[in-house]
Order: sequence, then structure tokens, then C-alpha cells
Amino acid sequence: MQKVLIANRGEIALRIVRACRELGIKTLAVYSEADVESLHVQLADEAICIGGPQSFESYLRADRIISAAEIADVDAIHPGYGFLAENADFAEQCESCNIKFIGPSANAIRKMGDKAVAKDTVQKVGVPVCGGSDGVIESEDRATKIASSVGYPVMIKAVAGGGGKGMRIAHNEISLRKEFHVARNEAEKAFGNGDVFIEKFIENPRHVEFQILADQHGNVIHLGERDCSIQRRHQKLIEEAPSPFIDPQLRARMGEAAVNAARAADYEGAGTIEFLVNDQREFFFLEMNTRIQVEHPVTEEVTGVDLIKQQILIASGEPIAFTQNDVQFNYHAIECRINAEDPSRNFIPSPGCIDLYYAPGGHGVRLDSHAYGGYIIPPYYDSMIGKLITYGRTRDVAIQRMYRALSEYIIRGVKTTIPLQKAIISDPKFQAGKATTAFMEDFLERKPKFD
Amino acid sequence: MKKSDLSEFGVEEENFKLKIRRDTGKEAQPHIVNYAPAQTSTPATQSEPISQAAPAAQAASIPQAESDSGVYITSPMVGTFYTSSSPENPAYVKVGDTVSADSVVCIIEAMKIMNEIQAEQSGDIAELLVENGQPVEYGQRLFRLS
Repeated sequence: MQKVLIANRGEIALRIVRACRELGIKTLAVYSEADVESLHVQLADEAICIGGPQSFESYLRADRIISAAEIADVDAIHPGYGFLAENADFAEQCESCNIKFIGPSANAIRKMGDKAVAKDTVQKVGVPVCGGSDGVIESEDRATKIASSVGYPVMIKAVAGGGGKGMRIAHNEISLRKEFHVARNEAEKAFGNGDVFIEKFIENPRHVEFQILADQHGNVIHLGERDCSIQRRHQKLIEEAPSPFIDPQLRARMGEAAVNAARAADYEGAGTIEFLVNDQREFFFLEMNTRIQVEHPVTEEVTGVDLIKQQILIASGEPIAFTQNDVQFNYHAIECRINAEDPSRNFIPSPGCIDLYYAPGGHGVRLDSHAYGGYIIPPYYDSMIGKLITYGRTRDVAIQRMYRALSEYIIRGVKTTIPLQKAIISDPKFQAGKATTAFMEDFLERKPKFD
Repeated sequence: MKKSDLSEFGVEEENFKLKIRRDTGKEAQPHIVNYAPAQTSTPATQSEPISQAAPAAQAASIPQAESDSGVYITSPMVGTFYTSSSPENPAYVKVGDTVSADSVVCIIEAMKIMNEIQAEQSGDIAELLVENGQPVEYGQRLFRLS
């Protein structure tokens, strides 16, 4: 592999440029007119403009991206996360144009992209799933039948949804009858597919996901879990590895389930299996993400494995150079997603010019960010400024280090989530490792003071 | 200076200003391949140029950043520019021709499909800015009109 096209932007595009550099691979950045001054565009070996500022005019234009790949004669395309990363049609177009899509096959993406099919696929190989319907539910009556057999409360989910979207809770039969139709309409509007299924709703679970790697030679291993329970409206704010709730025995069982799920999906590359874990330490398959995830750095710092490099090596046909037994969890790592949002004003986005920027550093601090002094955050994309990761021998050290690093970090000119994240990691419940997915709602209701 | 990678070095203090430039013997290459954005300010690596592999020769150049008042036909897509529909046929337009909004001015080929590109404005062709067979990107200037 000599040249890779990076079909993404912002911090993940920069991350991919760095990995390619270390592997001696040339990079081609494709970018929109709004990203002319972006850091990764300046650092890549080549750059091609593919359209106007809006995503549908540029980063979602598969035709222009593939055109750029052809004229620049690239060997592979790295889709990053979001945009076209889980677009099976795009993966298929790459395949038919003889360009390697760095990720799984179009088939695997399709299989795991349909939540009902995914659940069915993993259940067949013994992965625990939430009780619920066997597939799509066509009628209100069938919905109530299933719901009464698994027991309320239940969650109505869109098969084409994901990432927290397209879900409705029903606590009894009356609300189920209503929510069933609401969910179908919403799903039709949002995803173009109104099919829904039903699952038992698990109260206040922890969100624990497992990182897997699968090569072209049949090797599949897991790299441990990430606890992503600190979420607001299903958007993750803080992630950590290992999970303070998972002991080695549970890790081994969940890891095995994750590997089995990846095999059942006929997977290639880096992927993540998401589980919900209840208070009784029972775990249930939620969904599989067939891409690299935003929070991959915490796994990298805990295990020492460079996941982006692994993606590229696997795509090149290399076997994974280590075994499951070689994987060690030597550190504890925490990540804060630093977004240009104002947490004191309901997280309203805050694009604009960063007129003063000072990045934190020192022992155990990693910053994955495309920001710099003078950079203008465009209003067309997500609000992420960067990811701040700290790690240390123990969870306490990682937390203290995160507080220190957040305090050093200066981003002047836009509002950021830094004050909120400082408050969260100072919270006694978080520090005790007791946070579940109910944490953020409860935390914000307490109206904590942060400047 | 020769020992280091620097080609230009400056120091400014209260009563003292020094600037050294090393003549590398070749024309100053843009250190940022194909593109020189107006640098509002740079990250940690201050004035030191970001070292690059040699600029790829035919990789599409980025839309020009100079602010001038010319009128241009720009590329609406990414692909390869051709002046005519095939090597045997004459070019669609040449310098001096008058075009209207729906005049076809060139072909841009993408993924084996030849797309006829229209002028979308009227005027006289004053200059052809790209070469036959050159890869072009979105927004790239193809023709200047007068």
C-alpha cells in the first residue's frame, strides 16, 4: 500500500495522516471549501478539493471522492468515522473500482447495520441479547404480545437506527400502542425505513463496549473494554478503559462474546461490539459498530496497540502480529471529548475563531486535536475541537491527571465543554466508579456550578 | 545554517535585529504541497516549514487563493479535463470564442463517464488555465472570460 485517501476531516483525518506517516504511506486529503485551512489538509502529501462546505456537497459525495482516488491513483481509502464510514454502498463502489476500503466488506456493514439482523446474527453464536422480538414487528397487536412476554418497560427501536437515534420507551400497554406508531413514523422520516423491533428495556445500565481486531487470515482478538456510560442524550462525553465495573472474569466472558460476534459478522478490520451491563453484571448485546470509533485512544493507551495502524496493516493483508495472550491492560485511561458547545446554555454550538490556544502536556497526557491558534471552527460539521486523553498506572492517577490537563487547556474565542468535564470528573459518584448511563441526567439536574 | 534544515532565520530583540537567508540554489518551493493558505497563525511549529515529500507533479492544484476580479469558469466536479470530446475532434472552444450559458466548453471525465461541462455564463474565452488531460478538482479555474 503506497497511498491512502482520507475520506474525512478534523481530528480523525489528522490521526490517519499520522498513522500513514509512521508506516511510510503517502496521504491524500480530500476536503471541502470550508476546510481549506484545516491542519490535516496542510500536513497531507496531496490535497484535492471535492466540493462546497455542506457535507452533502463534499464529504458525503462518494462520486467525487472516488474520482479523486482515481486521478491521484490511491491504493486505499480510509473512511474514518461518520460520513461514509458505515455506508455499504460506498464500500461496494470502492471494491468495484479496485480501491481497498479500509474496513469490513459491504456485506458485513449491511449485516451489522440492520439492528434486527445484527441481533439475530450474534444470538445464533451464543451472544446474550436483550429479550424481545425475533425481527421486525408489523403490527401493534404483535408488539403488545411481545412486550407482555418480556415484561415492561420495553424499548421500541428502529432497525435502521443506531448511535442512540430512533428509540422510544413504553412503560405499559397503553403507551406502547401509541409509541409503536410514533416510532415507526419517526424512523420512516429519519432513516427512510419505518421498520421497528422491540427489546426489554434495561434500567440504568452501564454502556460497555469491546474493541476487536480481525484480519484477513481468520484471526480475531479483543483489546478489552471501554466504559462510555457518561452520555448526554446518547452522545458520549467521557470514556474510560478499563471499566471500573468489569472484573477479569467478566472481561474474559464479554471478550469471548465480542470475538464470536465479530466472527459471525465475517468481519475484517477494527470494530466495536457495544453491550449494556446491568447491576447484576449481566451483559446484553446492543449493536456492532463497523468502523473505528471516536474513543479509540483510550484502548490504545491502555494496551499500547496503535489501532489506526492496525486497520491499515490488516487492509494490506498483514496478519495481526500478536495473539490474545499478548494483549495487556497496563494502564488506566480516560478521554474527554472537547466540543465547541456552551454547557451552560443547553450545549448550543459555539463555532468561531480560536484566538488563543494552549494545549496541555506532560507525563500521561495525549491530545488528538486539529485545532490551533487562529483556527476557525466551521459551523457545518460536528463541534468537536479535540479529544483529551490522560492515562496512568491507576484510575485515580488518570483522573487527577485529567483534572490537571483540563485546567491547563486554554481555548479562547469559543465556548467549550471543559468546565463541565472538570465538574464531572470531580464528582464523587464518578470518582467512585459508580456512574451508569443515568449519571448525566442526574448530574445536570443537580445544577452543578461550573464556570 | 547549512548544518540545519533552515533556509531562513530571524531574531529580533530590543536593539537588535538579524535575518539570515541561505540561498539553497533553487527556486523557493512551496512547502505546503500545491497550496499556500493565508496563514493566520501556525501551531506549535512556528516559522519552521512543515517538511513535505516533493510536491506531486500532476496532483490537482487547489483553487487559487489570489483575490483578483477576473471572471472564471470553474470545475463543478473532480476528474480529468479534456478540451474536446475525443482526440480526433477539435477543441470545444479556443481563445477568442464567444460562449453563452449553455455552450459546452470542455469535458471532465470521472469514473469512465465523459461529462460535458457548460459555461453557465456568457463571455469571451480569454485564457485556458489547465492542460488537456490534467486532473482537476472541485472549484478549480478552467477558463478566464473577458
